[in-house]
Amino acid sequence: MSHINTAPQHLAPGTAMDTAGGEVTCVDFWANGFGMRARIALRELGVAFRYVEEDLRSGDRSELVRRMNPVHRSIPILIHGGRPVCGSVNILEYVDETWGNDGGARLLPRDPLQRAHARFWADFVDQKVFSTQTRFLKSKGAAEKEAAKEELLDQLRRLEEVLGDKTFFAGDEFGFLDAVLIPFSSMFHGYEQHGGFSLENECPSLMRWVRRCKERDSVKSVLPDEDEMYELHKKWYGITE
Amino acid sequence: MAAEAPAVKLIGGYGSPYVHRIEMALRLKGVTYELILEDLRNKSELLFKHNPVHKLVPVLLHGDRTVCESLVILEYIDEAFDGPPLLPADPYERSEARFWAQFIDQKFARPFWFSFWTGDDVDKRAFLKEAKENLTLLEAQLKGRSFFGGDTIGFLDITACALAHWLGVTEEVTGVTLVNKEELPAFCKWADGYISDETVKQCLPVRDELVAYFSARKEMYMARARATLHK
Repeated sequence: MSHINTAPQHLAPGTAMDTAGGEVTCVDFWANGFGMRARIALRELGVAFRYVEEDLRSGDRSELVRRMNPVHRSIPILIHGGRPVCGSVNILEYVDETWGNDGGARLLPRDPLQRAHARFWADFVDQKVFSTQTRFLKSKGAAEKEAAKEELLDQLRRLEEVLGDKTFFAGDEFGFLDAVLIPFSSMFHGYEQHGGFSLENECPSLMRWVRRCKERDSVKSVLPDEDEMYELHKKWYGITE
Repeated sequence: MAAEAPAVKLIGGYGSPYVHRIEMALRLKGVTYELILEDLRNKSELLFKHNPVHKLVPVLLHGDRTVCESLVILEYIDEAFDGPPLLPADPYERSEARFWAQFIDQKFARPFWFSFWTGDDVDKRAFLKEAKENLTLLEAQLKGRSFFGGDTIGFLDITACALAHWLGVTEEVTGVTLVNKEELPAFCKWADGYISDETVKQCLPVRDELVAYFSARKEMYMARARATLHK
């Protein structure tokens, strides 16, 4: 599936008004893994929203992004009733608190300890996995690349341990930590090409989890084509092989 | 007979603002806890066992539960214990508090570190400018109130504790001045209010002791700053 077309789209017929206080817009870019989290979460909770694409390939940020996220000028940005929520994990928490309900879909588990675990591992993904991935893709020498590759695999195996035998990270239901991590899978093909390894061999249980996630409409409709993701990152990071 | 509440222990280390955050949260909730002080230069098996991923303090032990990462612990404390809420009730206000907490943890470290701990041979102006801009942005979040939480100390105030106390200590140890009342009046008023608070005083390291602690480590921090400056 090719990337989402750049014109703003309405995902539900009619307006993107929700019942909890105003129009919902998500400003994002098709290849932004952090933004995929937000869009998956909104779909999981059945929230109709308008998607506005910000082209990260252009050097300057749009007036909308500069106005809605003056501090970081980054995306994704969730705009609800005219008010911005910035930061992908922050958006997930906000979406859960605003639209999640005990009777139906929720992103975070109810139990405080389970919630703490989900937040801890989401922080691990952001503190460790993303920077290791960047270092791995940008590394120039063979030794540097090998070291980053080992670190990345180590981190993925750690997450695989956290998953254990469960269907999803919190148990039977798709949730917060699944939404946080699954966008990275759109770069797995890229990792394999770049590092010359197979994730089926290295992390088979994680790959089964990836396939389970991709059966969900929310994930299917948001995750971009892996070849396109790798091509884009090759350009961004100056990978020439 | 009612079951006893499970014991609460906090693995901490002297002089850590991250540990102070957790002590404040527990005290604001009225939770009794035992503080286990680590020698951070010689970490214990207990710490490695309970935080194998990061090997850092603070670590909260609540009965047989373990929670790591200070902001994660703060949210856990707010959810697991009764008592006055640390975070606002409204989802949008919560998202603002979380945004600024992340801002503090991500954006302050680098410019502050390099503003204070680099030598006179380094042009600090860009770092100082960035550090001041960050403080100005944060100051605006007070919106005329005494604390980020409103009339009383809340989640964002305790998250920002290093700025209220450790910042002044670092200025004294290094001789580098970042903050003045003319440029950051609301911030200074907030900081004074924070360190004067009775609950804060129960778990805030004494200023002179912190000055001595950082002075003893000055050479080490300066060497580290020199080494990482050009990375």
